[in-house]
Amino acid sequence: MNILICFCDIKNLCRERLLWLLVAVTVFFSILASHNGHQWALAQNEAINSAKHEQQQAASVIKQGLANRQAQTQPIKWWEDQYDLRGQAFYLMVNYATKPPIPSAAMAIGQSDVQPYFFRMLVTQKQAFINQYEFVHPLGLLIGKFDLAFFIIYVFPLLLISISFNALAQEKESGQLRLLMLQGLSPTRLLFSQLVVRASLIILPLLLISVAALLLFSTGIGLLAISLFTCLILAYAAFWLALSALIISYGKTSAYNAAVLIIAWLGFVIIVPAILNTAIVTANTAPSRIEYVDTLRDKSDAVDKSSSKVMAQFFQDHPELAKKNSDNKTASNLSTSYATKKIAKIAAIEAAMQPYDDAFQTVLMAQQQSAEQLSYLSPATVVQSALFNLSGNGLMRHQHFLEQVLSHHQALRSFYQQAISAAHQRGDFKPCAGCIARVTLADLTQVPNFSYQEKTSDTPWSSVIILLLFSCVFIILASLRLSAMNRSQTGGVLV
Amino acid sequence: MLILTLKKEWLESKREGRIIWLSSIILILLACALLSSWHSYQQLQTQKQQVIKSERERWLNQGEKGPHSAAHYGVYIIKPDTALSVLDPGLSDYQGAVLRLEAHKKNDTLFRSIQDAIQMQRFGDLNPAFILQTLLPLLIILLGFHSIAAERESGTLKQLLANGLSPKSFFTAKVLALTGLGLLFFAPVVLYLVYSLLFNDGSFERGALFIVSYACYIFVWALLTLIVSSYARTARSALITLLVIWALACLLLPKFAIEDAANRYPTASSQVFQSKLESEIYTPARQQAIAEFKRATLSKYHVDNVDDLPFAWSGAQLQFGEQYADKVFDRLFGQRQTQLEAQSLHYQNMAIFSPFIALQTVSMSAAATDLAHHQLFSNAGETHRRLIQATLNGDLKDNGKASIRNNKSYQGDHHLWEKIPDFNYQYPAISELSAHYGRAAACLLLWLAVLFSLSYFAIQRIEKEGQL
Repeated sequence: MNILICFCDIKNLCRERLLWLLVAVTVFFSILASHNGHQWALAQNEAINSAKHEQQQAASVIKQGLANRQAQTQPIKWWEDQYDLRGQAFYLMVNYATKPPIPSAAMAIGQSDVQPYFFRMLVTQKQAFINQYEFVHPLGLLIGKFDLAFFIIYVFPLLLISISFNALAQEKESGQLRLLMLQGLSPTRLLFSQLVVRASLIILPLLLISVAALLLFSTGIGLLAISLFTCLILAYAAFWLALSALIISYGKTSAYNAAVLIIAWLGFVIIVPAILNTAIVTANTAPSRIEYVDTLRDKSDAVDKSSSKVMAQFFQDHPELAKKNSDNKTASNLSTSYATKKIAKIAAIEAAMQPYDDAFQTVLMAQQQSAEQLSYLSPATVVQSALFNLSGNGLMRHQHFLEQVLSHHQALRSFYQQAISAAHQRGDFKPCAGCIARVTLADLTQVPNFSYQEKTSDTPWSSVIILLLFSCVFIILASLRLSAMNRSQTGGVLV
Repeated sequence: MLILTLKKEWLESKREGRIIWLSSIILILLACALLSSWHSYQQLQTQKQQVIKSERERWLNQGEKGPHSAAHYGVYIIKPDTALSVLDPGLSDYQGAVLRLEAHKKNDTLFRSIQDAIQMQRFGDLNPAFILQTLLPLLIILLGFHSIAAERESGTLKQLLANGLSPKSFFTAKVLALTGLGLLFFAPVVLYLVYSLLFNDGSFERGALFIVSYACYIFVWALLTLIVSSYARTARSALITLLVIWALACLLLPKFAIEDAANRYPTASSQVFQSKLESEIYTPARQQAIAEFKRATLSKYHVDNVDDLPFAWSGAQLQFGEQYADKVFDRLFGQRQTQLEAQSLHYQNMAIFSPFIALQTVSMSAAATDLAHHQLFSNAGETHRRLIQATLNGDLKDNGKASIRNNKSYQGDHHLWEKIPDFNYQYPAISELSAHYGRAAACLLLWLAVLFSLSYFAIQRIEKEGQL
């Protein structure tokens, strides 16, 4: 019976041009979205490889030019000298911290277009580099890219609605439903068979194309990621189909169903996420970045004005450097180099700004927590969160990257402050015969390198479960209404 | 006729309870968005004023120090906002509002709000522009898709025409009724514009452009809805056609247009850009140019040593270095700006296919929240940076000599810092910037013209309906 219904429905659908249009749109958009996601991941890899290449080239240039530099007799300023620890630390260092895209990155561009995925490191206060960003047309960021996440969240439900809104209603409007019911066909069975047949015409091309593209072009992608991606699409589709079934079960006209489903789409995909976002940001207002600049300037000035206090604190924190510096000298007459003072100042500014940086971080985490809790109010936010996390282009992976970048920044500072202090002790920064300073850094391989350590994140199965739960509720409600309709219609016929 | 039609539309809308609900929700959302935007704007302006004031005080009271140290100390400048940014924040979150001006470097603006945002932000903010540009057309469609198609479907259209109803008046009344309903949603915005003009130093020119462009946009969607409704056989097909047009115009075409623009006019990644900047400034050619400048200066003053020059060589050399770097900045930043402007223009050209793109471009321009205004601010900041460097280096050159003679390092003071004027940038009149939105505005008018022409055919179709 079910096969017969499906066969008849396919036959009916084939007569409508709209069906072929919807299938064509699904195929075209699936290809385009997969292509865009892969291109973006490629572009990121290209930029990261270019950064790595630049870093390797800088190291090899230093290695090759060492003999020439040692033979140089012309004076050279330390801030322009690649072989000077201070010049490297504060101005010339080519040292990148990069976040490579994961194999499933093509699923969603996510936040990766607005959050930096590489940083050029220097020994400077973190405020000077942590806000770097990729300069692209901001309109492209506001509008966003047409990737699989956009297609699945926004367009896919519209396609499902377009193909399913007149299921059952069409039969009812043409009077066929009564005839079919007289032959023992229940409206529940008819509706669900129609929905399954119709939805599969949209879901199958999307799944086939996107999964094939992921398997072909995303090297190293795991089966778990593919399975989760597939389950998310199926669960999201189940939600919209179940909602369609519920609305259709009220027995109104197909135009009415279409209007209500569009309003539901508008509500769930556009209005609710925008309201949630605005409410979350309003409830947990972030501190002002304008005021942050003001505080940064004040703190920097305060550090400048109290340099002796800053140095005392610095040597208290780094007694190993104080000991070397204060050999044979009184504590008040420390022979500290300009570079050591600069590093101490950087450390003091960062320490003074820490509470303000923490305030931003606390608010961001509070906002994210609220967003995760409230995301269940809309299937679109559930799917967005799951896809962003699955693609490695979400907020939490970026936060994890930032933590590692800051650790690397500390490691670089520590390396340079030790090396500069040692060089200062040896008198390497004093002018020597024929040159203004000796070579103090001949091998860049000594400098700490950044290597991103991937953190295993939770697989978002809960998103699939929650979508399926909602779908079940809608299906049960729809079945109850359709059974009631069946009873009343059958009763009517019997009478 | 109009009043009768309005009454009829109102009655039908009342019967369609969901439309009333949806309209009320959108109106409430608009009011909330307006209030929330206005509140944030007020807060931001207070903060900006305070920071501008304290930054100036910091600069003036930085104490005695070498002019070049002061050049490195630098100044932070803050991008101004117009009162219209409450209505359309445009690209504000995606472009920083703070710019650091310092020696040897041309910086990009800092602190883009989007970098402090959660991922849900990508769904968009609930701001007045989002509601008016994206949701209002959808509401117009839902209010008007059945206007003529349903009359045809139910057979009442023939009856009305048989009773002597003029198709032209019928169509015009429907259009005016739908436009009027659409404009009702625009009322809170107009009230805010009047308020900003009276109490908030708003620009009349910008406000007028904003109102006219939004009124045109509402009119475009009202016309489009009724034309489709008059051609569609059933209300259902009218709704589907209109929804496809809406999804294409408001969701898909803007994405494809900006993506296509970025592919046609690509910009280098910031990693490539920054390393290019460094490799093109700090080159042996620069050292050679400085050496050449030194030789030429010594020869001009007929001396053999820079210490014998009548001014401090360090000041002259620093200024030469700045000017050398400025040429590289002009070339590389100029190339990037040219590509970005080409992207903007290409996007604007796509307005021919989407009234949303046309309105969005004009609206952001009027509100000064587009890339063009951002670049104007950045360029003004760069001019100010060069002025600071020239003043400080000039002062070092002119006055540093005496200190060198006394074996002291030259220190600038309050008098020198006061020579640097306040950075007080105001955006030019919107009429002077027509190149940045003119095509989009023309496209919006073209949409109106084309739809007017199509209305003629729609009226004829209704007329034929009565003759059948």
